[in-house]
Parts: sequence; C-alpha cells; structure tokens
Amino acid sequence: MAFAMRVKVPPNSANLAEARHRTFDFFRTACRAIPSIMDIYNLYDVVNPSQLRSTIAAEIRKNAHISNPKVIDMLLFKGMEELSNITEHAKQRHHIIGQYVVGNHGLVQDVASKDEDLSPFLKNFYKSNYF
Amino acid sequence: MGLGLLASRALRSSSSSRVFLSTSPRYNTLVRTIVSTPELHKPEAAAAEAPAEPDLPKRTPVAGARVHFPNPDDVIEVFVDGYPVKIPKGMTVLQACSVAGVDIPRFCYHDRLSIAGNCRMCLVEVEKSPKPVASCAMPALPGMKIKTDTPIAKKAREGVMEFLLMNHPLDCPICDQGGECDLQDQSMAFGSDRGRFTETKRSVVDKNLGPLVKTVMTRCIQCTRCVRFASEIAGVQDLGMLGRGSGEEIGTYVEKLMTSELSGNVIDICPVGALTSKPFAFKARNWELKGTESIDVTDAVGSNIRIDSRGPEVMRIVPRLNEDINEEWISDKTRFCYDGLKRQRLSDPMIRGADGRFQPVSWRDALAVVAEVIHQVKPEEIVGVAGKLSDAESMILLKDFLNKMGSNNIWCEGNGKNTDADLRSGYLLNSSISGLEKADCFLLVGTQPRVEAAMVNARIRKTVRATQAKVGYVGPATDFNYDHQHLGTGPETLAAIAEGTHPFSSALASAKNPAVIVGAGIFEREDKDAIFSVLQSLAAKNENLIRPDWNGLNVLLLNAAQAAALDLGLVPESDNAIESAKFVYLMGADDVNLDNLPKDAFVVYQGHHGDSGVYRANVILPSAVFSEKEGIYANTEGCAQQTVPAVPTVGDAREDWKIIRALSEVSGVRLPYDSISAVRSRIRTVAPNLLNLDEREPAAFSISLKPESPKKVSKSPFGVTVENFYMTDAITRASKIMAQCSAVLTKK
Repeated sequence: MAFAMRVKVPPNSANLAEARHRTFDFFRTACRAIPSIMDIYNLYDVVNPSQLRSTIAAEIRKNAHISNPKVIDMLLFKGMEELSNITEHAKQRHHIIGQYVVGNHGLVQDVASKDEDLSPFLKNFYKSNYF
Repeated sequence: MGLGLLASRALRSSSSSRVFLSTSPRYNTLVRTIVSTPELHKPEAAAAEAPAEPDLPKRTPVAGARVHFPNPDDVIEVFVDGYPVKIPKGMTVLQACSVAGVDIPRFCYHDRLSIAGNCRMCLVEVEKSPKPVASCAMPALPGMKIKTDTPIAKKAREGVMEFLLMNHPLDCPICDQGGECDLQDQSMAFGSDRGRFTETKRSVVDKNLGPLVKTVMTRCIQCTRCVRFASEIAGVQDLGMLGRGSGEEIGTYVEKLMTSELSGNVIDICPVGALTSKPFAFKARNWELKGTESIDVTDAVGSNIRIDSRGPEVMRIVPRLNEDINEEWISDKTRFCYDGLKRQRLSDPMIRGADGRFQPVSWRDALAVVAEVIHQVKPEEIVGVAGKLSDAESMILLKDFLNKMGSNNIWCEGNGKNTDADLRSGYLLNSSISGLEKADCFLLVGTQPRVEAAMVNARIRKTVRATQAKVGYVGPATDFNYDHQHLGTGPETLAAIAEGTHPFSSALASAKNPAVIVGAGIFEREDKDAIFSVLQSLAAKNENLIRPDWNGLNVLLLNAAQAAALDLGLVPESDNAIESAKFVYLMGADDVNLDNLPKDAFVVYQGHHGDSGVYRANVILPSAVFSEKEGIYANTEGCAQQTVPAVPTVGDAREDWKIIRALSEVSGVRLPYDSISAVRSRIRTVAPNLLNLDEREPAAFSISLKPESPKKVSKSPFGVTVENFYMTDAITRASKIMAQCSAVLTKK
C-alpha cells in the first residue's frame, strides 16, 4: 500500500513539446538506471550497456508515430512503471533477458536482408505456419 | 409466456389431473414408497385409461435408422405407442421402436453383437402379454402393439436401475466414464430419485488385461458386451463370465492379458466405467475435450477417427462410424498411438555441423543451404522418397519440384522398384472393404491381414463367421482368428493353384464371389512381375474372379500414403537410384534402405519425428503430423479422405506442402501454388479421384493389358511384412504405449 501511495501522477503535458521533453527525460532516467540493472540482474555475460540503451531507444521509437500528448503521457507512465518494477527487483532475470535482451524475435534471428524480392508466400512462411 | 408455460399446460392435460383422481388416499398413507410418481403404483388402472387416440407427430428414426426390405412379402406392421411402422420380418421389438423414432434404454444390447437379453433395461409393454418383455430379444410380430412409455414400462426400468445400482459404486467423480456413461445417463432419466439400500456393496477384484485396458470390475454391471465382442468380433476367447448370482464376474479365468489387436474397442462398448482406457486414465474429462473428425494414417485402411484434444495436446483417439471402412471399431494402434505425437518431435530446422551435431537454424538459412546444394549436383543424382505418412498434396509438390530440378527419381517407400502404377486395379483392394462381405472364398497371398490391416481382417472374420467362407492362405505360418487352410509358403503354391493342380483351385473355381488378396509386401520382391502374371493367369482361368459386377483380385496395401502415391505416379525412373544419388530428399521416409547411399551424398530429412531417417540427414526440416494438418489420403480400396487439423503445430514446424513450396522458391524454380486449394487443383489434373473425398472411386479397368512376364517365380517363400503390429511408422515407434504393447503383447 505504501508503494501505491508514493506514486503521484504528474499533470498532463500541455502540448507536444512538453510531452517530447518528458520522453527524453524518461529516456535519460532509464539510461542512468542501466548500470544498476546490469548489477541487479547480473547481465554482464549476456549483454552490454549500449545494447540495453539501444533496446530502450527502440522501445520508445516503436511509438514514434504517436502525436497525441495524452497518449504519450500514458505510455510514459507505463514506461515509468516498467522501469520502477525493474529497478525494484520486481522481476526476475529471465524476464529481462526474454524481453529486452533476446527480444520477441526468438533465439534464431531471421535477418531480413533481401526480403523485397520474396513472394508474399515465402514471407509468410518464414513468419509462421498459419497464414 | 414461453416454453415453461407451454410445458406446464402440456403436463396438466396429459396425465397429472387424471392420475390424482384415480389414486386413493389410503394408498398414500399406508405404503412407504421410494417412487416419487404415485401413478406408477397402479399401472393397471393407468393403462386402462390410456387415451384411445394418441396424437401422431412425424417421427424420425433414432440415429438415422433405415429399413431395407429384401422381400416385399416379409413386411409386417407394428404399432409403437400407437404409431404404425412397417418393418421387415425378423426385426426385434427394439429395432422396430428405433425405426419408429423411440430410443429404448439398453445396456447389454449392441447392434453389432449377438443378443444376450440379460440386462432387462429394455423392457417394454406389449399389449396382451402378461408381463413386460425384453424388447431386444423379442421378435416383432405382425400387429403387435408396443407401448414404451406406459407406467408398467417405466416401473420396470426403475426397478432394473435399482438392482443395477445396488452393487454399482458411487464413484462417478473419480470415474473416467463420468460424463459419457450410459448408467449415469439412464439413472438420471429412468432411475428412482431415492435409494432404499442399506447393506454393503459387493466388490470384485480388478483384472489385468494388459497395458491398454484399465479395469475397475466393481463397476461392472455384467452386460457381457465385452465378452461377446471378444469372441465374436475380435475372435479371441479371452474374456468370459465366472460365477453365478451376485458372485458373477467378467474375467479371464486364469491371469491372462487380452491379446487382440482390437482390444481397445471394449472401452467404447462398455456402458459403464468398468473397462476404460489405461493411458487416458485421469487425464481429462470428456466435456473439456474438443473433437475433430479426422482419419487415421497408421495403416492403409484409413479408419475414421475423432481426435479429442485439449488445448495443444491430443488427449485420445476414438472411432467414428463409417460402415464402408471401419464400421465402428478401430485397431489398438490407431487408438493408442497418440502419445507418439508429442514425443521425439522435431521442432526447429537443423543443420548438421562439421562435428556431426545438429545446430538449430532459421528456416531462411536451412532452405538456403538445401537450395545451394541441390544446384551443385547433377539432375539425375537427385532422389526424392516420400514416407509412409505423406499426404497427397506434399507428394505432388515433391514430384513437381524434383521434376523441375530435372530428376524423375521419386517414389513412396513400400511401393518397391518400378511398381506398375498404370492401372489403378493393379494396386487397389478392388472388392472394397465392405464388399469383402459378399465374398465366399478367400485366397490370401503373402499377407497377414491381422497385422497389416486389422480392420480388413475384422471384415474377413465377419464374413467367415456369417457365411462359413473358405479361407486359403499362402505365406509363412501366422496367426489367424478364423478358420483357414494353410496351403503353402511360397509362390510355387500360388502357381499350382493358378494351374489348377492344387486342391484349393476347385474351391476357388466353384465359388460365387472369390476374393484373392495379395499383400503389398510382394511389391518389394524381385519376382513381383512374375507373381502378378501368375495372378493374371489365375484370373483368366477363373472367370468368376473378375466380372463386371465383381472384382476379386485385390492388393492389400500397407501404408496410408501408398495408394495416393501410385495415383499420382510416384514411380522412380531408375531401379538403383539410391546407389548413385548425391542428393536425397526424404519426406518422412524412415524405412528406406540407405546402406548403399554414397558417403558424400547430401540428405535432407523433412519430417515430424526424430526417427531412423534423421541419423543420416544433413539438414532437418520439421513438418506437421496428421493431427496438425489438412491432407488427403487414399486408402487401400481407393477411397480418398482428408485429415483435419485438431491441434497446432509443434515449435517452428510447417506443413509439408508449404516447406516444398518455399524450398522451390528459394531454389529458383518457384512452384505456382500459394494455397492448399491451388495444390488441389494441381492434383485434379493428375488424379481427380483424390479430390472425390469420402467416396470410393473404383478402378475403371480391370482387364489384363499387361504382357506375360518372361521371368519365373522364385522359390523363396513369402516373407512376413509387418514384424511388429504396434510399431510400423515414425509415430508409433515414438509412442511409449506402443512400446509397452510390443513388449508385452507380441508373441515371441
């Protein structure tokens, strides 16, 4: 309960510029947390800080198309929540590795180098059996 | 207003008001009854007041029961609840009721078994008969007035239920039959709502019937269905009845396992939970299972099955009714092979590294490697082998792909070298499986139908039992469950029969519908052309063997893929393709002999199990098993059927035809089929009969067009084709239950 009390939701961003500023703030906070995350979850043998940084950047860039400040605030809140969960050791090592080190591509990564000239069938085939 | 109001109105008008008037108050006060419906205590009174003019709504027969009148003079009319119905003479009262659309409760009666009449659950009232009659054992007589829902009949059923439940344990919550139990259902429908039983229940020692059937004999209600099944259908005299009265029990007398290949069917016919599936015990409840109507691929019969799955897991396999193929039985291999579907599975594409170990790779890399290698070998050094379990779609794609690469060395394992695929009659069971019932003389050549195709054997046994048909057998000594004459072991006996010097040839000549069944093991013999020309001369000698209305020259195939492979023309160009091969594409082929393969040959194994084919493979492409894909299979009689996906594929596996389609694009010879319907339209141009699903397409020609073979039949006797009934393909070899069965049940 005490944990829930500490969370205070800041007022919504007034405009897109403020939301953008907050996003960069969040990115910086997350990057500053990387050394302690590496330490908590003992990630030295699987990943280095720059990879984690680019993962965080990629996660943020996933939502680059969003222009509604309210939605950005919501996503930032969720990001903050995730970050505090990680830094408070509310997760376990395999969560971090599964979500941020390996990613959702799986262990075997299909490097799509010349996907352009493939037929739709083959593109679907590489993704899954069901199409 | 609605259903409730309508129902209450109907209730009031039919019985209750009248009954309350006729029931005397004295009755209610003096007798403590267990019956909640007082009308049952004065059946005579209620019966006497039965309405003279019942309403006659149109009734539909139970379970699509149909009547066939062989002789118009034998038609009799009976009345079921006042509803007139025409039936042929000799039908029982119970059958007449089911034609009239009234389902009579029963435990011991079963359509395909002899009549025992010992459960007494099917008691109905017949006018002018002094007491209720057991409808399953009573022949219907002309003008008989049968009443199925009179108070007498209801009271009789209630009484029978009470006696049955006297010794039946109340362990439905831990009973595997719960939810699909006849006793449970019928006690809800016909039983009393309270018990008056205070003594202890009897208990019976459980019997050990082997690794497949679990017994809880205390639950047994002595309907003797299993005893009759074992002795009549399965043809083993293992089960019997011991003791009398309350000491009566089903058992094997001496400790003995049930050694029939059809033993799993006793699980289905047992109306209670006395005989249940041992591998399925406590695994799932039947209401949480999703049923998928599919077909079986472990032999060439194509038995119709229902795959019961829960989530991604196949929980059990049960038979589906198909009168033309498997009636309502399936073999033990079909029923219990399902645990092989989840063991030893290949889930990722793999490439064998320099150290000889497999390394998981992406599909992209695996296909690129295969495409690179296939372009480095000469076209005539490419060989493709389809496996026993391949579906028609993947086989036509394999053939198209390798043909585009310039090779025509594609075949299906088990079909042997240079098998004649020109005429369908040359490799099909031309009499059809159900047509074997018309035969009156069998000649089995080099085939052991009991292990090769258990359902065909059950059909032969049914014929032999019904008509005393003669069975002659040429081949190594083997086990039959019907009377037969062992004529000889080698092809020279067959030649003697064809020449007419053998005593059995007179039996064949005098038979009305003779059936010669040749095992597909002959395909692997060197002298198979000579043997088939001996059969041609046999057909020429006996004009009754091949007539416009009867074709008695049959080939009994072994594997699910064989018939479709020959329909699609998967016949190799050269006889010794393996010896000179540099690139071998094994599509689920595990039993092909690779000893003569050059050491530097590149082997691609596309398949679903890590079976023998994997040991030599350089690249593994994981594919789906029959329960995970849609595929067409033709059975041994030429009936095309299709499997239906019941569960998702394992890991990163793909359907077979998709793998070849993708590989063809990566190799630069893109096949133009993007969907399964496109593949099927390709099949339509090659073998349109394969798209005629669920209908048997008989062979059009059966005249001999083949030249006489110059070769002579060899002296070597016919071999045993299937060594172990329980383990014949990749799925069954991966199955733990099948391994237990072969350890315990196969005779050594």
